[in-house]
Amino acid sequence: MTQDAPHTTTFDCSDLDRLLEPYLDGEFEEDDRATIETHLSACAPCRDGAATAMAFRSALRARLREAFAPGTPQATAPDSLRRRISAALDAEEARPAAWWRRLISPLPVAALAACVAGVLVVFAGHRATDPLVEEAVRKHARDLPLELTTASIAPELIPSMLASKLDFNPKPPAFRGDGVKLMGARLAQIRDWPAAYMRYETPRGPLGLFIIEDPQRRVAEEGHRVSAGPATIWVMNMRGYNVAVWRSNEIVYSLVSDLDEADLVRLVETAQSAER
Amino acid sequence: MSLHRATEGSRREFEALALPHLDGLYGAALRLTKNPRDAEDLVQDAVLRAFRFFDKFERGTNIKAWLYKILTNAFINRYRRTSKERNIVEDERDSVQDRLVSRDAADVAENPERAFFERLLSDDVLRAIDAVPIDFRLTVILADLQDFSYKEIADILDVPVGTVMSRLFRGRRLLQKQLAEYATASGVLHAGREDVSIRNPSIDLDDWKRRRGIS
Repeated sequence: MTQDAPHTTTFDCSDLDRLLEPYLDGEFEEDDRATIETHLSACAPCRDGAATAMAFRSALRARLREAFAPGTPQATAPDSLRRRISAALDAEEARPAAWWRRLISPLPVAALAACVAGVLVVFAGHRATDPLVEEAVRKHARDLPLELTTASIAPELIPSMLASKLDFNPKPPAFRGDGVKLMGARLAQIRDWPAAYMRYETPRGPLGLFIIEDPQRRVAEEGHRVSAGPATIWVMNMRGYNVAVWRSNEIVYSLVSDLDEADLVRLVETAQSAER
Repeated sequence: MSLHRATEGSRREFEALALPHLDGLYGAALRLTKNPRDAEDLVQDAVLRAFRFFDKFERGTNIKAWLYKILTNAFINRYRRTSKERNIVEDERDSVQDRLVSRDAADVAENPERAFFERLLSDDVLRAIDAVPIDFRLTVILADLQDFSYKEIADILDVPVGTVMSRLFRGRRLLQKQLAEYATASGVLHAGREDVSIRNPSIDLDDWKRRRGIS
């Protein structure tokens, strides 16, 4: 803070006004403090102003300390957060190990199936940065209530019901096998884009599919590039979820899942082959 | 995928260094995001990022400042972009804010404000902090809640120390004004008081620095 040192002879009340806060915050060296204190001792209005500023600063800090006292909800990381962090660190530690296992162990059945289906998976562990993907993962993780559920509406009616509320036709991919079952859907918003959200159940946890229209190709192409028949699938990891992103003309699909990469790609591949 | 795989030892070291700050990080995140769910997401994200980059952390330096820098970046990158809060362009807003803000050294003899500070409630302070624009709120939180120095805040936010000074200056003034409004509304402080105290025509730090030839 020496660059703001008040040692010119032109030091006056308006200078003090600017330097008062850093002075009270203990930001100045001895010399500069002395300059300020000399002025304060000679200038009653500034002294009074300093007292007011000091009173406010003290009161502010005291009330903040109270509000954030140990044990208050404001200042206590919830147990749920501690557990989540611990799990996230576990997952982070386990990730490279899982890699290594894959390289030395026989190919998992799912990966083998993917190869047979003509999918080449490059295990390059890519972490997503696309804000759209980030938002999709966040929305999926929140487990928002479904507006249309297959308990009350026939699954084949859901796309057209969503289409009537959107400017585009959110044609869902036809996933095959794996016990993938559509649970329901809702309208969603990914950043400023209207989206259709569909939730599927699988034996290995729920899947969230976001369908948006992207004629300007704003969705970044990032992640592992996987060729699956006619389509290119981008696979990435975001906050512990594996996400597959692929495009069909102007429609972009983002599938958020707990599946491992190979299974996820294989699942997307089933929908691609169904389209052919 | 980090090539520098965190070893078990570094996990323990990371937890020993970082987890004592979890409560503080959560408290700050809560004031930034204003809701517990986003605050948890933000802290988890920041801690995970910190762990991934733990090999980049220079041992023996300030872990707290390093963690808050990661938290702040995560917040700016993710939540702020999607939030409706306007990015503050300080140069454009300085003059307006300065005119709004009450501050005058010559005015405060027999000052009822000083007495009202002592009657502030912590809930009022939290409410007022939440009402302050994000750049100022962030700076006030780092200074007055987390006790960081101006230099540390400058490093955390990647801004010059002069910007920290001016944001803190204005942030506290805005808080003071906000709290005075609550007090006026509840009859603790008499209305009209502020008009009298807005007298100082120029409290622009940058202008002062230009006059002093300080960059």
